[in-house]
Amino acid sequence: MEELIVKLKNEIIDVLNLEGMAPEDIADDAPLFGEGLGLDSIDALELIVLMEKNYGIKLKDPNEGKAIFRSVKTMADYIEKNRKF
Amino acid sequence: MGVYIGGVAAVSIQEPLSEEGIFRPVAYSSPQVRCIEPEFRKFLEPMVARRMSKIVKRAIVASSVALEEAGIPMPDAIVSGTGLGCVEDTEKFLDAMVRNGEHCLQPTFFIQSTHNTISSQIAIRLGCHGYNNTHVHRGISFESALQETMLLFGKGSIHSALVGGYDELTPPYFRLLGRIGYWREEVKNSLHIVQEPAAGTFAGEGSVAFALSENAQGAWAQIEGVSISYACPDFTREAGLFLHRLGLNWKDVDVVMTGKNGDLENDRVYRNLSLPAGQTTAVYKPLCGEFFTAPAYGMYAAAVCLKQGMLPASLAEDGKEIKGIRRILLLNHWQEKDYSFILLSSCGD
Repeated sequence: MEELIVKLKNEIIDVLNLEGMAPEDIADDAPLFGEGLGLDSIDALELIVLMEKNYGIKLKDPNEGKAIFRSVKTMADYIEKNRKF
Repeated sequence: MGVYIGGVAAVSIQEPLSEEGIFRPVAYSSPQVRCIEPEFRKFLEPMVARRMSKIVKRAIVASSVALEEAGIPMPDAIVSGTGLGCVEDTEKFLDAMVRNGEHCLQPTFFIQSTHNTISSQIAIRLGCHGYNNTHVHRGISFESALQETMLLFGKGSIHSALVGGYDELTPPYFRLLGRIGYWREEVKNSLHIVQEPAAGTFAGEGSVAFALSENAQGAWAQIEGVSISYACPDFTREAGLFLHRLGLNWKDVDVVMTGKNGDLENDRVYRNLSLPAGQTTAVYKPLCGEFFTAPAYGMYAAAVCLKQGMLPASLAEDGKEIKGIRRILLLNHWQEKDYSFILLSSCGD
């Protein structure tokens, strides 16, 4: 799981173009949206695309998103359980 | 009412946001040269900058510097010219479409894949709700933006404006244009490219912004006129008519600054000009390279000359510095189709 979290952080930094940010700058439990990283709705779309492209996960229920994208840890948990590759 | 350049800024293949590149330009020995980037962090917070393509970042930085210099916090209009827009992100988006079978496409690249994103992104950054337009007309994109702005000033619709020419030239686009003979295979010294004519030229890129207003005080130069002609069977006559419409003639022009780029075919048009004997000529493309909105860099170079009241050796076609210049006529053409005429004059006594 630890390995997946680091990989996921690197992917988030890359896909959201978070220049100058390193994986250690993102706490595992820090909120991704709002007061944490301060991501917005376009970032949410980028994260949905990331999950589908890199892990084969298609989010069908939009209501699930809020819980899945709460933090890097919740994302990693969901990926671990649902990844296709 | 006159229209004056109150502030200018350029990000180009020369030192960014500095006039140093006009007086002591850097020479290159490559057929493609990319921009020297300014320190974006000084102007844009990382969380804001992250969703901007490079060309938008350059445009916003150049615009901010030009507006600040002119003392215009909020222009009445933002009008930009670009030949290719955010082509780097367009390429990324199209590339992803092909690679991923039209699935998993990133929204950010899609948002920036539209040409008119440049003026609108500058407006969003400034919080400007005024007139907003981006002209995309290949080699006369910048001149079209400038012409529209002059019309808006003439109508009294605006009293200040931000005008710019912005283009990036990506490696794939460079390769495509290379297939039809745009570029030289070898460039020994970019600054000597006009003096060593051959087939092709070298590719540059740039973002140049001008803050315009009706205030002559402290201005770099006055824009006396701009004109565009699609076809131009007699370039000299057309330039003479342009001057005549402004109540001037050739003897009023101190320097003719042309879009010569060292390519034999491109420069033939300028060689065929019948200029008055002894007319001083200048070139700017050896400093910035060829790209769709290179004339914006030409206008920038002319404004710097008029502000300083001199033509530096780096721009003079014969390499001789001239002092006391007051009026510069800029001529350009693109593929012998789109011809442009811009006249700038000094604001000094």
